[in-house]
Amino acid sequence: MNNVLKFKNKKNTFAAQDEIYNFAYLDENTKRMIRRALIKALCIPGYQVPFSSREMPMPYGWGTGGVQVTSSCLTTDDVIKVIDQGADDTTNAVSIRNFFKKTANIETTEKTSQASIIQTRHRIPEEKLKEKQILVYQVPIPEPLAFLEPRYQETKKMHALSEYGIMHVKLYEDITKNGHIETAYAYPVKTNDRYIMDPSPIPKFDNPKMNNNPAIQLFGAGREQRIYAIPPYTEVTSLDFEDYPFDPSKAPHKCSICGSNESFLDEIIIDDEGNRSFICSDTNYCNQRMENN
Amino acid sequence: MQPILSVHNLNKYYGNQVGCKNMNLTLYPGEVVGVVGESGSGKTTFINSISGNLIPDSGKILIETGNEKINFLEISESLKRLLIRTELAFVHQNPRDGLRLDVSAGGNISERLMSIGQRNYGNIRQTIFKWLDKVEIDKSRVDDFPRTFSGGMLQRLQIAKNLVTSPKIIFMDEPTGGLDVSVQAKILDLLRKLVRELNLSVVIVSHDLAVIRLLADKIIVMKNGEAVESGLCDQVLDDPQHSYTQLLVSSVLQV
Repeated sequence: MNNVLKFKNKKNTFAAQDEIYNFAYLDENTKRMIRRALIKALCIPGYQVPFSSREMPMPYGWGTGGVQVTSSCLTTDDVIKVIDQGADDTTNAVSIRNFFKKTANIETTEKTSQASIIQTRHRIPEEKLKEKQILVYQVPIPEPLAFLEPRYQETKKMHALSEYGIMHVKLYEDITKNGHIETAYAYPVKTNDRYIMDPSPIPKFDNPKMNNNPAIQLFGAGREQRIYAIPPYTEVTSLDFEDYPFDPSKAPHKCSICGSNESFLDEIIIDDEGNRSFICSDTNYCNQRMENN
Repeated sequence: MQPILSVHNLNKYYGNQVGCKNMNLTLYPGEVVGVVGESGSGKTTFINSISGNLIPDSGKILIETGNEKINFLEISESLKRLLIRTELAFVHQNPRDGLRLDVSAGGNISERLMSIGQRNYGNIRQTIFKWLDKVEIDKSRVDDFPRTFSGGMLQRLQIAKNLVTSPKIIFMDEPTGGLDVSVQAKILDLLRKLVRELNLSVVIVSHDLAVIRLLADKIIVMKNGEAVESGLCDQVLDDPQHSYTQLLVSSVLQV
């Protein structure tokens, strides 16, 4: 342990507001373990790498996996953005942003283009990501086959041998029940033409953004202790049928704030009469459009 | 003609307990081999060992796949599992073991098709209807869940699910067990029709001599994990040589 601290990057020994924390909360050994898992995950796109997830000072389901991944990637130069369902100002986003402000004393931003690391819960920002940006997803259930095959040993085997017929059974059932593929979020994808992957509960609207994305995409599942990743410029395809092709649908409305036709919308009930309004789920995208106009 | 499946000196032990011992079997294309014996005689162990459900302790299982003979016990697991879901089929005694109960009837039938790469919903749907028709399940039940099916229908659904990829060898473990006599007769009728129509090669396990007599060309009689007598079905059942076979044949209820 002492050795590790001695050889620690000088830059990372910083003056935190509260010096009882190591940089970005996790100890260096843990970060090193997670980085190893991340490198393996990047080498095998879509493959779930087990890691020994730590207890974090927040409950499971609040992004413990994502926080550990972000913590292991952070350097003092990083600028972090945290979003929850696209928004910068919701509880989960605010508390995680404050967590890193406090434990790593780094700069934070709400602007997608200025962030070097973006931790996200269930959305991909509307603004196109660039090279050298890292997108960290919070993942509740990393195993896309979990709802079809409850035995973990068996799903591992199915991944290893590319036995993915059952995945299409799910889509088949969707079409027979609803006339179209009803799955609207956590829509399964195939990564680099090999592993079937759960993209975390992002809307299927975001699925095409994962394909050939210049940014690094990292996925952390704290409770399930799995890390997986999509390296930059990797092919990611959404599963479908020849006669029922994938459709990244969105609500047929405009954002009632910025008027955008292209962004993913949240539906909000605005009065007791049940009237609805649609606004961009990506708050930063919406604000910037308003500023520019 | 080459046998499609041949088993040589197969042994399976559970600790010191004999599962099955020195079992041999030769199955030619279009042939039905019946395995009979009392409860605990090792029938199920035998069929599980030759179908990939259990790993036998020793022996040799050769499967003919078109142009080459595959030693089933020495191939990689991926090839084995590929064979199991394409060339082989297993019909369980309890259809609930072979079906996904939370997936519709059509979804159950389609699984094997999609696992070999079919990706056209319309075509898959048509194949499903074709097979529902073959196993005499009403087409209107295609989107119903198996749990709403009767025992006999479940068994027919399981048969359709297994046969949809036209497997070369079909293993059946007591396919009519637990069904009442009239439903049993219907299933047997259906199986006989399918065997003749599709020229299926079948290994069928049953304690019911009537089932075996109706379906099988050849028969293996098992007792205490060993084959005590084997040969042509009619020959063995009409003129049993081994005392156990004689007992078995004479204990069939005459109505």
